[in-house]
Amino acid sequence: MFSSLGDSSAALFQLAAVSITAQPYIESGFLASLTNSIFVALVVMALIYFVVRAGTRRASLIPGPVQNGVEFIFEFLYDQVEQVVGPKVAPRAFPLLCTIFVYVLVANWFGLLPGVGTIGIGHDGDRMPFMGLAGEPEIPLLRPATADVNLTLGMALCFMIVWFYITMREAGPIEFLKHTFAPKGGLTGFINVILVPIFFFVGIIEVISILFRPVSLSLRLFGNIFAGENLLHAMSSLGEQFGLGTVGQFISSIVLPLPFYFMELLVGVLQATVFALLCAVYIQLSTAHDEEEH
Amino acid sequence: MDQIGEILSNLGVTWPKFIAQIIIFLMVYTILKKFAFGPITAILEERRKRIEDTEADRAKIKKQLADSESLAAEKVAEANETAARMISEARESAAALGEKEKQRATQEAQDIIAKAHEATKREREQQLASLKKDFGKLVIEATGKVTGKVLSDEDQKTINKETAAELAS
Repeated sequence: MFSSLGDSSAALFQLAAVSITAQPYIESGFLASLTNSIFVALVVMALIYFVVRAGTRRASLIPGPVQNGVEFIFEFLYDQVEQVVGPKVAPRAFPLLCTIFVYVLVANWFGLLPGVGTIGIGHDGDRMPFMGLAGEPEIPLLRPATADVNLTLGMALCFMIVWFYITMREAGPIEFLKHTFAPKGGLTGFINVILVPIFFFVGIIEVISILFRPVSLSLRLFGNIFAGENLLHAMSSLGEQFGLGTVGQFISSIVLPLPFYFMELLVGVLQATVFALLCAVYIQLSTAHDEEEH
Repeated sequence: MDQIGEILSNLGVTWPKFIAQIIIFLMVYTILKKFAFGPITAILEERRKRIEDTEADRAKIKKQLADSESLAAEKVAEANETAARMISEARESAAALGEKEKQRATQEAQDIIAKAHEATKREREQQLASLKKDFGKLVIEATGKVTGKVLSDEDQKTINKETAAELAS
């Protein structure tokens, strides 16, 4: 089954306009690990740093525009997190969830900037140069950071570690095991005895689903952003597919992707929200019973 | 595991890149925690405290104002009452004084009138006595001249008595 999946994946990779993997600038040596997505991740990190520093360097009771914006985002996100995970867990869960949301959002939107994925090293000789500009680069200098499984998987694993820590701290191992494997609904007697193996089996499924959470979280985000990048590239090269002239290709490469840029703006927010919200829900699911009982 | 490794490899996952991305993510977390969460939480807490203090001060000032207004109203009412009482007392006092003065003036006027009557009466009596005396003298002299004799003391007494009787009638 996996070998067929591998074959179909390979075929899909060949068809995709954008490489499914992040590409290094240099093939060998120490810098071989410096890929275009890692570089963009560093740029995104610097961008976040400068904006946050600008907003909080001279923090005062009467905020300036940047401080006001940063405070608004902070308070808004905190309220959202508090609504999902509850006021008790919110202070511990918020820093990570806020980081996930902000980082993913900025990274997603950064990927929509002109030049990301289109300026790079080496060019496809099949495409016709226009006004000194050649076709698709072989190695783009910039690649959306979230279109790299290394980032999405790493982020998801970091979340799972924090999720485990918060769950153990708030619920404890006994409560967590009871919550996962023990029969629910306050049943007693013979029915309870019958339901024990069923709930135990459900608990095993639950554990498997928990183990697959980082996979689902990371692949969902990666798939959406990678698909968006492919869509934009496909739209920009549609004129070439239709056999338009040089000027037609140039105009279509600007006009046709335009509506999809707006859609990708929305997808960027949506995916950041989905990732952070699912993380919040996972925390809530494993800690809510503890709050209810107390 | 090999299949998973192959899939991850096809997706471009390698340990160095994976660790690098985790490090970058943790750096973003550290940046936000140090430069955003901390300062913003502190400033929001400070602002919340300031608002609380301001609200407490406002409530205190409002209470003080209400107390002051109540006290002022009480003082004004008290002053009004005192003033009304003083005015009433002044009116009563003025009325009593006026009455007293009026009575005194009336008494004085009556005394003056009585004295004037008495003086007039006394003066009239004196004038009448003087008139009687002068008229008696005149009658005696006239009688002496008419009769050509010197009237005795007895005659003069008789003439004075008769003249006085005539004047009195």
